[in-house]
Amino acid sequence: MTQAAFFILTALIDEPRHGYGIVREVEELSDGEVQLRVGTLYGVLDRLAADGLIELDREEAQQGRLRRYYALTDDGAAALSAEAERMAAGARTATRRMAAHRPADAHPQPTARPGRPGLAGGAA
Amino acid sequence: MTTLLEQRYRTVLRLLPAYYRAEREEEMVETYLDDMDEADQDLSRPAWGEVASIAALSVRTRLGSSGAPPRYAAIGSAVRLFALLSVALLAADALTERALPAAWLTGAGPRDRADYLRTFTGDGVLMGVVQALLWALPLAWPVAYAALLRDRRRAASVLALLAAAPWLSYLVGWPTGQGPGVAPSALTVVAAATAWLTVAAVRCGYHSDAPPARLPFAPAGPALLGACVLMGASMVVWPQGADSVWGSGTAVVAAGAAWWVVRIRSARSGAGAAEPALPLALAALSAAVLAQRCALQDLLASAQAPRALVLGGWIQAAALTVLVVTLAVSGTRGLLARTTATAARPVPRA
Repeated sequence: MTQAAFFILTALIDEPRHGYGIVREVEELSDGEVQLRVGTLYGVLDRLAADGLIELDREEAQQGRLRRYYALTDDGAAALSAEAERMAAGARTATRRMAAHRPADAHPQPTARPGRPGLAGGAA
Repeated sequence: MTTLLEQRYRTVLRLLPAYYRAEREEEMVETYLDDMDEADQDLSRPAWGEVASIAALSVRTRLGSSGAPPRYAAIGSAVRLFALLSVALLAADALTERALPAAWLTGAGPRDRADYLRTFTGDGVLMGVVQALLWALPLAWPVAYAALLRDRRRAASVLALLAAAPWLSYLVGWPTGQGPGVAPSALTVVAAATAWLTVAAVRCGYHSDAPPARLPFAPAGPALLGACVLMGASMVVWPQGADSVWGSGTAVVAAGAAWWVVRIRSARSGAGAAEPALPLALAALSAAVLAQRCALQDLLASAQAPRALVLGGWIQAAALTVLVVTLAVSGTRGLLARTTATAARPVPRA
């Protein structure tokens, strides 16, 4: 799952949103890291809809133009949950390895044994 | 009231196919203009990043996969097949062009070997390194072929770029001894265009929604090996008629003829109209090789090459022309049938 797809699905967890609402929510969720262009947004929405991860919720007219609201499907929620768990597992592994390889003098621990600086953090 | 920015944005959206605009244009305009101050809209233009994202979406929707309308699915499939077949042909060509001299060198005398090695060492260390790179980089084609078939799209794309890179140096005339500013030959231009067209087809055709690459009718390894053997054999069997396009031409004519045999058999067994993707891809590949053949014929004529060589080239050009025309007709018929189906199909919805 791409980063854009992950954040779009995340943006739809609490309520159905229209295109611009998704763009704003994704930007906020990612602390401004992910700024979706319209072409990118609709490319990902097409893909997510084709995979059954989102669906059309409703349509509204806004100043003579069309707003479509998209909602997360059960399959979308399951896919997002699985992806979040996969990412969390990856983050836990990275944190564990970082802790195991932290130099002893960077964060000295009173229980650290001399000669084994790699285990000083004790997180592993 | 329509603002200038909206008009400009709608102009950009015309990059998208009509079926997609019919479904999405109003929604995309609303998404783009939402929260923009109307007073500023007559003073601004769509950002280049936005235009690029629409252009990328345009490529993705026009080169669709199985979920796209039939016409665009067929075009996408044809471009991907062209990319795969062209990478395979360039890979076989790179391998054959290096295997044959290597085989020749093993039996060559010391003087011939020294002459061959002087290609790399005769102009100093720097030029030697450059020549070695120019010799080695096309070997990235076979690796790109393997990467594509293993669905490593990004790697395949980068490897194809690397493999095609030497053509840029040939085009500017450096370091092939022509010097900068010297116009490259028509053959060089056409061959470079074929290589870069292949790179573009790999990059555009194998977008993230596209299905994995699959070679029709044959397993990937034996197909590449078979193409190498066929190309090498065609040059060894008739060395006085073999030039730099001969091997590629033989392989493409064999592939086109094989497609026609299979097509005629399936037509006799009552199968319907042919899927357009494969004949269109083969037609494009044949056209690329035909263009190289014609450019080389021009060079052979100006160099007053032996008659057998010129005659063999024209025979191959005639065979390629027949293939281009017949495959293009067959593929276009199939594509037109799908265009009708696309027009009749209800617009897809998210």
